[in-house]
Amino acid sequence: MTAVDVRAIREVEVAALAWVSAHRGDFALGDDAFTADGHVDLTWKPLGELAQTCASVRRHTVPSDPLHACVSDLLGFAWQQTGRGELFLRLQRLEPFATYPLEVYSVFAGAGLRHAGYEAAAATVARTRGWRLAEQEPTRRLGILGAERRSGIHRPERAEQALRRTWLGGLPEPWAFERSAGYALTHVVFHLTDWGRTARGVPADLAAYLADWLPPWLDTCLDAGMWDLGCELLIVATSLPRPPDPALLQEAWTRIARAQHDSGALRVQDPDPGQYAGTDPEPDFLPCYHSTLMAAYAAALTVERLTGGLDENGLDENGRGGRGRHADDLQNRYGGQGVPG
Amino acid sequence: MEQSGTSALLQGAVQDLSSDVVSALRGGDHVRVSGGAAVDGPESSIAVAAVRVIGADLLLPHVLSRTPPAPEALGLFRQTVEAYPPRADAAPTVVWSHWAMSRTLHRLDAPRSGSPADEPGAEPDAGWLDGTTWQFLTHQLAVLAPLAVPGEDCVVARAARRRPVDVARGFVRAVRRRDWQQAAGAGRWLTLLDGVPDTLGLESGLDFVELMGGSDPRVALQVEAARALRWAGALV
Repeated sequence: MTAVDVRAIREVEVAALAWVSAHRGDFALGDDAFTADGHVDLTWKPLGELAQTCASVRRHTVPSDPLHACVSDLLGFAWQQTGRGELFLRLQRLEPFATYPLEVYSVFAGAGLRHAGYEAAAATVARTRGWRLAEQEPTRRLGILGAERRSGIHRPERAEQALRRTWLGGLPEPWAFERSAGYALTHVVFHLTDWGRTARGVPADLAAYLADWLPPWLDTCLDAGMWDLGCELLIVATSLPRPPDPALLQEAWTRIARAQHDSGALRVQDPDPGQYAGTDPEPDFLPCYHSTLMAAYAAALTVERLTGGLDENGLDENGRGGRGRHADDLQNRYGGQGVPG
Repeated sequence: MEQSGTSALLQGAVQDLSSDVVSALRGGDHVRVSGGAAVDGPESSIAVAAVRVIGADLLLPHVLSRTPPAPEALGLFRQTVEAYPPRADAAPTVVWSHWAMSRTLHRLDAPRSGSPADEPGAEPDAGWLDGTTWQFLTHQLAVLAPLAVPGEDCVVARAARRRPVDVARGFVRAVRRRDWQQAAGAGRWLTLLDGVPDTLGLESGLDFVELMGGSDPRVALQVEAARALRWAGALV
């Protein structure tokens, strides 16, 4: 049985969040976030991902952990950027049928940060046939249904229908996996588990399929230096009812730690896969913010899954990393857990 | 320059012989040893080296159809077995490949000559596969694809049978890495294993490997072998 170095995974998380904290200003919204033809991918998307990561890491760390305070602070910063929700109203007036404002808002709502005025306005638009009939790719559709739910909007459409139209939901040949399919499938699992909150949302056939095929997907993504997708796949692996194989975790985290810069930054993609990663020049914000967030998120989930949580020093009562709860023991905790089929 | 010339000749000979095996598997015919492979002289040594690369698969069509090989093919095969006994420090795959050839020779030679080739020795050790990663296991099995034949019960085959999901993962990895040779070899093993997840889509996977890598006769050989095993409906 492979031993997993929990402390090393925790160090990846600490370093990644240090980089995020040092670069919080780069997540701030500028004026270009409030134009109809604004660059959402450069404005709201990074901020939404910051909020999602921080909300998730906060949920998976104990309040006494300094990282809990760190991500709470960053989440508060992100909420302030939205004018404590007020600016979603401004965004809606610019693009009333755009879905991204609700998708970003729902991250905050899921973390308990709500704006009643925006929710009422969003619900008004969401009642229209036009909103409900908007054409979206199935994975996005799942995400929007989740965003509505978190924001207090309920429509009769069942997520199961959208799920079965996704790449993952159709159980495709695993060797047909490519990068775009990878991003789609990780997000399907994020939506099904409400971003790692519950494994019960993953149907049994999908959980079994993922348990079979995540290892070669993860292995080949890390080989190719696709660090962000690798971290997303680790999030998926740690979100399933059955815990992942310790050898898989140890191997993956060793490689990710090696690719991480001293600053904590992790590139989305190695410029030269196969070469020694992490020694190239410090990347700019855009080529690494997503990957760095995903590393922090994946590390938080992995550490929690392996240990059931750490104290604020990342140490157990014997002074070692983890509380000594062996990964195998988690089988008992999660293995028999019923999942709707 | 001479070495690279020899290497190119060897590569060409391996490809030619692989094509011969593919033709025989497809046509139900004898393996015709094409070119100058069966004659004496420098070309013969290239041919022997090429048969060593292909291993027991040279006579696979005859193993599957239970028909005797042509004398030239059998003679070349025997010559190779005798010319390349594994050294004491040989890698496990080399030792096993030679063992597989000796066993095939014993099976196919005995009924013809009445003086059977030497009994293959006892099975080599297979401890190197114990507890190994699924990546390494699949790689080694793909190298030893000639052992993936119906009814095979050696320890390597048993190691494969114990880990069908791991071999299937290795197949996925090989396709993702565009390593068609390894993918085809792993796919051949998978046709013989119980417990492979249905979601793998093995049949379309082999078609895909052939589509992408089948212009290499060594890949085509493994894909065709996998199909022949499947049609034989045989289980290890």
